[in-house]
Amino acid sequence: MRTSWREHAYHAVLWLVALVFFAPIAWILLSSFKTADQILATPPVLLFRPTLDNYVQLFARESFLHQLFNSLFLSISAVLIAVAVSFLAAFSFSRFKPAGTDFLMFLLLSIRMLPGSAAILPVYLMYVGFGWKDTYAGMILFYAMFSIPFSVWILKGFIDGVSPRFDETGRVNGASWLRIITRTILPQVMPGVIAALIFNFIFVWNEFLFNYIIGGLQTSNVPVALSTGLYSSGGVDWTFISALTSVYLVPPVLVVYFFQRYLLVGMTFGTVRGEV
Amino acid sequence: MPGLLLIPVLAFFIVWNTIPTLWLLGLSFYRFSLTSGRAPIYAGLLNFQNILNDSGVWLDLSRTLLFVVSGVGIQTVLGMLLGLLFWNSQRLPGRRVALTMLFAPMVLTPVASGTFWRLIYDPTFGVLNAILRGIGLSGTNFLGDSSTAFAAVLVVDIWMWTPFMVLMTLAALASVPKAELEAAEIDQLTWWQRLRLVLLFHGKYILMLGILLRTIDSFKTMDLIYNMTFGGPGTTTQLVAITLYRRAFEAFNMGWSSALAVILLLISIAFTATFIFVLHWRDKAEA
Repeated sequence: MRTSWREHAYHAVLWLVALVFFAPIAWILLSSFKTADQILATPPVLLFRPTLDNYVQLFARESFLHQLFNSLFLSISAVLIAVAVSFLAAFSFSRFKPAGTDFLMFLLLSIRMLPGSAAILPVYLMYVGFGWKDTYAGMILFYAMFSIPFSVWILKGFIDGVSPRFDETGRVNGASWLRIITRTILPQVMPGVIAALIFNFIFVWNEFLFNYIIGGLQTSNVPVALSTGLYSSGGVDWTFISALTSVYLVPPVLVVYFFQRYLLVGMTFGTVRGEV
Repeated sequence: MPGLLLIPVLAFFIVWNTIPTLWLLGLSFYRFSLTSGRAPIYAGLLNFQNILNDSGVWLDLSRTLLFVVSGVGIQTVLGMLLGLLFWNSQRLPGRRVALTMLFAPMVLTPVASGTFWRLIYDPTFGVLNAILRGIGLSGTNFLGDSSTAFAAVLVVDIWMWTPFMVLMTLAALASVPKAELEAAEIDQLTWWQRLRLVLLFHGKYILMLGILLRTIDSFKTMDLIYNMTFGGPGTTTQLVAITLYRRAFEAFNMGWSSALAVILLLISIAFTATFIFVLHWRDKAEA
């Protein structure tokens, strides 16, 4: 029985660690069900009658619904474009290894290593010059560009893992490249495609700075609203903020739950594989 | 055929990266302010000279270095310890939910995390100060006090990114062949020997890649601080990404900002090269 007692203690410690990391998130979730007075109470209240008022008010705000739509629309369209385009490039890099492949892969990666304010500065000037600021096309195409490096890196890793014998067999049997790509390669690299879609979605969904700089009233997403709309009637409107934050945190948390096995690939540009 | 498939990516790359980067490079040699309304004036290396002689920039760079080294250092040590702790967690009841809770901080919207940590840190109604007062300590205005703001921001960064190093440690542990673990068991290696000879031997590349990715990301830190302190109070939490933001999008001093962006670009290229070097090193070792 001693081992079983030890195992229980061990599991209790693991849960404790998980709960410690989740505690700040739990606190904002809890706050979102409080009234304004309860949020501002000293000492903070733990037991209270939960209210859904904050959520009702949140979803009654037209500006919030517009920004939520923008968050969804920008992330989904940018990611679909980026992954489609990246798949072709990754396939080419993996199979034909055109001259300069390593250099291009390097340049692509370096885009993602640059601090955001440095990356957006020239794009801002360009957008102001061409009048592309605060347009959906301008935002989506920029986000697509920014999602390409990550997608190419992930997809190339996965396509490298598919033996070229599959292509050869297809060629010998007279299949076109298009058929080989869609029928034999794509099904085998589906995990890579899913990881690229999911983690680029999270990136654009969470993105604040670019949207703030090259976006505007029409295209601003929820993170921008969150940082710029913090103040109302003199103080921070914490009921609104906590409800908005809670709603916005749901997709990333669900992704970690449902796509846990892609987490490693997604957080490392596909350079580390495996499951935890 | 290979060229044809690359056209879309190259088109994106040229319009949204190459042209803007060349623009940036060119502008860094000009005196140009968006607010003055005057055309850019060629200034040679003046912007670079000004930046290198600007003690404020050096201070922000060294603060960024301190933030990166202490943050990534603590995350690595803590992440490895927790990763080792979670090593045998296969039979944990509700493991998937527990891991979701543990890994959640790193995928959350940084702006949102910054916001709710402000609520937690708040001097009057924040829960942290309530706890401190509850155990008899005096309350602190964590983000508003220049002696605590840097540490307070660092704590949030550690909270956000320690899970990433846990993830990398678990991946490193998973990469160790089972036979070697059994051999270590039979040879009755000490805990330290196991760590050094088995885990570090097999997992070192994964851990190195993790530390590098963290270093690069930490160097870029912007959103989190933007919403918590915006570099303040004073400049106590002003990392270099914020410096650039302020000069470019508040003062609209585009020539100077472009030059700083070029310097940051060079630093990023050095980071990227190191990352790729480790990747090649791993591939060679595994081949």
